[in-house]
Amino acid sequence: MVAGGVIIRVRRGGAADDPEERHQTYAIAPRPRMTVLDALTAIQSELDPSLGFRYSCRVGMCGTCALRVNGRPRWACRTLIEGLGESVTLEPLVNFPVLRDLAVDMTPFLDKMSRARAWAEPTEAAASAPVELSPDSRQRVRIDPHIECITCGICYSACGMAAHDPDFLGPAALNRAYTLVCDSRDAAGGERLAEVADEHGIWRCHSQFNCTEACPKGISPATAIQALKRRAAASGAKSFVASIIGGLAPGG
Amino acid sequence: MAFQSGPSASSPPARPSFWDISAWRAMYPGMWAWVIQRLSAVVLLVLFPFHVVNPYIAWLRAVVLALVILHGMHGLKVILTDFGFPARHQRKLLWVLTAFGVAVFFWLGYLRKAYWGFF
Ligand code: SF4
Ligand code: FES
Repeated sequence: MVAGGVIIRVRRGGAADDPEERHQTYAIAPRPRMTVLDALTAIQSELDPSLGFRYSCRVGMCGTCALRVNGRPRWACRTLIEGLGESVTLEPLVNFPVLRDLAVDMTPFLDKMSRARAWAEPTEAAASAPVELSPDSRQRVRIDPHIECITCGICYSACGMAAHDPDFLGPAALNRAYTLVCDSRDAAGGERLAEVADEHGIWRCHSQFNCTEACPKGISPATAIQALKRRAAASGAKSFVASIIGGLAPGG
Repeated sequence: MAFQSGPSASSPPARPSFWDISAWRAMYPGMWAWVIQRLSAVVLLVLFPFHVVNPYIAWLRAVVLALVILHGMHGLKVILTDFGFPARHQRKLLWVLTAFGVAVFFWLGYLRKAYWGFF
């Protein structure tokens, strides 16, 4: 080992075309402010060109570099080697299929974004002219803390219920749905709420709060999910009462 | 109008193994609270009948009360977040409720002599 060096232990394999899971260790000499991503590129260019991992922006904007550092999901590009100890274990995210070594397949995660209808469906008014939400409006205040998601998948990897139920929509998709359900410029609000309010949607969340602990953007998807649960419960209660009143009404 | 999906790898999603100690060590406090709450329920199911049959076993009283408080405090945490306490502050809520639970346990223990003969 290099003096003052760090051992990087990388989980490899576990992919369809490379099923044998194994750990490989590399000794590196850390530079000041070296990130986990810097270490990986150093290993790839100097020690082992076959090592597979993914990144794009290198500055915490794209979310493609997510992996597990000593068991916890983090962005490789924003995690300093310093302070991680003399031995650092790097593994791919859990709850995703492994493509190669540290790079995972985001397809199931992105498919769930579509299942939660993670795109705006503007009302007629919003489609024909820009409609402003003032910064201090109730809607804006509700939506703002949940808007910055870059779909890195960290919350999804941290989520115990996503591990338990492969069909669970997961924190990121539900967080996105919440921002749209709150937005009066979106026409699909009620429908979207009904679609995410099932056993593989909001009701699958068991309040473990791992998403909230893990999100590097400081988003709390659990807060969004709890708010969706309250909205779904309120709308359920409303239709229940309406059905009783409808049943009591003469001829109903 | 859906996201374009790329080619899908045929391997199933990786899941943490129960026996992976590093996965347990990486667990966040909120997750520990959840696990402990589930476990305390299971242990209570086993111990509570013994307590009902003979309520004068001091150590059993102490253990059952500790488990009830643990289970209850963490249940309260979930109920509070369900009714609007912001989940982003769940960790603070966890520590406050845990401290409250410990205080209740000792209050009952010493002032009410609930586990007389045990402590
Ligand atoms: S909510 Fe946070 S952790 Fe989850 S995908 Fe978005 S940015 Fe990543
Ligand atoms: S490389 Fe873009 S977020 Fe890390």
